[in-house]
Amino acid sequence: MSDTKTVSIKEQNKSASSSLLKKNIRKFMNNKLAVLGLIVVLVMTLACIIGALMGVDYNTPVLTAMKKAPDAEHIFGTDTIGRDLLARVLYGGCYSILIGVFCAVASSVIGAVLGAISGYFGGKVDTALIRVSEVFQAFPQLVLVMMIVAIVNKRGLGNLLVIFVITGWMTTFRMVRNEFLSLKGETYVKVCEAFGMSKMSIMFKQILPNVMSPIIVSTTTNVAFFILQEAALSFIGLGVADSTPTWGNILNAAKSISVVTNQWWIWIFPGLAITLFVLAINFLGDGLRDVLDAKQQ
Amino acid sequence: MLKFILKKLLMMIPMLLLISIIVFFGLQLTGVDPINFMVSPEMLSANAGNVEALRESLGLNDPLIVQYFRWLGNCLRGDLGYSFDGSSISSIIAVRLPYTFELAAWSLLLSAIIGIGIGIISAIRQNGVIDYVGRVLAVLGQAVPQFLVGIMLIEIFSIKLGWFPSANRVSPGTTNLAWDAFIHLFLPVLTLTIGMVAVLMRYARNTMLDVLNSDYIKTARSKGIPEWKVYLKHGFRNAMKPVLVILVFRIPMLVGGSVVIESVFSYPGIGLTMTNAITSGDYPIVLVTTLIIAAAMLICSFMVDVFNALLDPRVRLGE
Repeated sequence: MSDTKTVSIKEQNKSASSSLLKKNIRKFMNNKLAVLGLIVVLVMTLACIIGALMGVDYNTPVLTAMKKAPDAEHIFGTDTIGRDLLARVLYGGCYSILIGVFCAVASSVIGAVLGAISGYFGGKVDTALIRVSEVFQAFPQLVLVMMIVAIVNKRGLGNLLVIFVITGWMTTFRMVRNEFLSLKGETYVKVCEAFGMSKMSIMFKQILPNVMSPIIVSTTTNVAFFILQEAALSFIGLGVADSTPTWGNILNAAKSISVVTNQWWIWIFPGLAITLFVLAINFLGDGLRDVLDAKQQ
Repeated sequence: MLKFILKKLLMMIPMLLLISIIVFFGLQLTGVDPINFMVSPEMLSANAGNVEALRESLGLNDPLIVQYFRWLGNCLRGDLGYSFDGSSISSIIAVRLPYTFELAAWSLLLSAIIGIGIGIISAIRQNGVIDYVGRVLAVLGQAVPQFLVGIMLIEIFSIKLGWFPSANRVSPGTTNLAWDAFIHLFLPVLTLTIGMVAVLMRYARNTMLDVLNSDYIKTARSKGIPEWKVYLKHGFRNAMKPVLVILVFRIPMLVGGSVVIESVFSYPGIGLTMTNAITSGDYPIVLVTTLIIAAAMLICSFMVDVFNALLDPRVRLGE
């Protein structure tokens, strides 16, 4: 009897949450900018993936076709050593988006786990973790990049991913910690504790779901942040090596003033790609915040 | 309050030490040998004995711990050591740190005035022209990579129009120092300001809107206080608290951004010094510039804490 009752409560919860989901989706759909953002993000990501899957040639220099302005053969023109820019922007998009999404998700996971521990246990653990996060915050990212590049002796994608994640988790950490500090005094947490639930399941199964909305929003906007970050690092020559195109290191060509003045297509297209994608992500993030964060309404 | 400030200040020392330890030993792991910078390869193979003596006299054969404490001791005595090409790091820093400081301070000041100003106007005249234009610009300013903004400004103002120089901080043989400073600072400051204004404007607008919708503003209005006084005395003062905190929070971003922007404008500040040292592997400079930037970041977060404590007594009591 009690068994069937739990099932029915669970089902009730399910139907309640699915109607909440429906309501949220409807609310999201009413936000035109957010929907536009979502569409742009999806279309650009798909275009990049399809381009990469079709095996566009992004890496063979054609010395007879250097710095060619856009025409029918090369829609975006060619770069300083005659590589097709459309192919590079598409392929580079895959890497840039990968960097953004991977780093945003990974740093959110680390930040959320550490923040949960810090906020829930408090005391010495909390103080120690806060200090650690402050050290990471004060540490110039560039120096870390350089040290890792020098230690492993190559400028790979992996370095960048590792560094962005270890220097990027602090904001989520602080946010989750503060939420946990206030939520752990709530009655439902006390009830779970009285039932003898394990600390792990209280932290991650009971409290964490209540903090998910701000985490989702900040993860979304962090995607844009990391893409911009990668572009900046590549610009000063410390990003991914040129053999792996990213939007950032294609833009690196804009370092030369003669390219900026005479070959606008070399920097306009990757620049537009970054701007458009970041813009779309920001709209999407704002839309999600409106839907998920009740406090902001 | 004094105790709180002192405690926060003292906390910075172990953190800086920790960072210096990480960088010092991290740089050792990279396996760069300073001898290679001082002695040419032919000499290296020919005079192995002399090289060994040089190594010994420089103390490079001592255990790392000893080297670290020797470096630390020298730093505390004000001797920052020498770069691999033999110039005194203290004198490099003495010239370049003020340049970066200038850049950051002007950008901070300008972006605070413009950002908060536009933010407040657009909150008061919500959905007006300024509000609309400001919001569009804010969204764009956050999406275009900062270095690209810098490059476009160089393209327009230095190359096409020729109004401002595209690089450096002082032109050789200049007589009018103030004007020279102005033309060199204008573009980099503008670039950094655009990025900062975007964020500040949005934030100032939202906080001001929150404040204007609160009950005490309605009370003030119903008392018949003139509208401008309501905005300035009741609205502005209460909205400024979170905005100031965000402003101070943004300074580290400014420091990070100035590293990239200095590289765009070949502006000889600490950031450019650091990037150049990183690419050429000049590790003594990397070590010192890292610590300077880290110290700047720590001071900013210290200022945020003090600000919060000054404005909100609850923070102090919690400590």
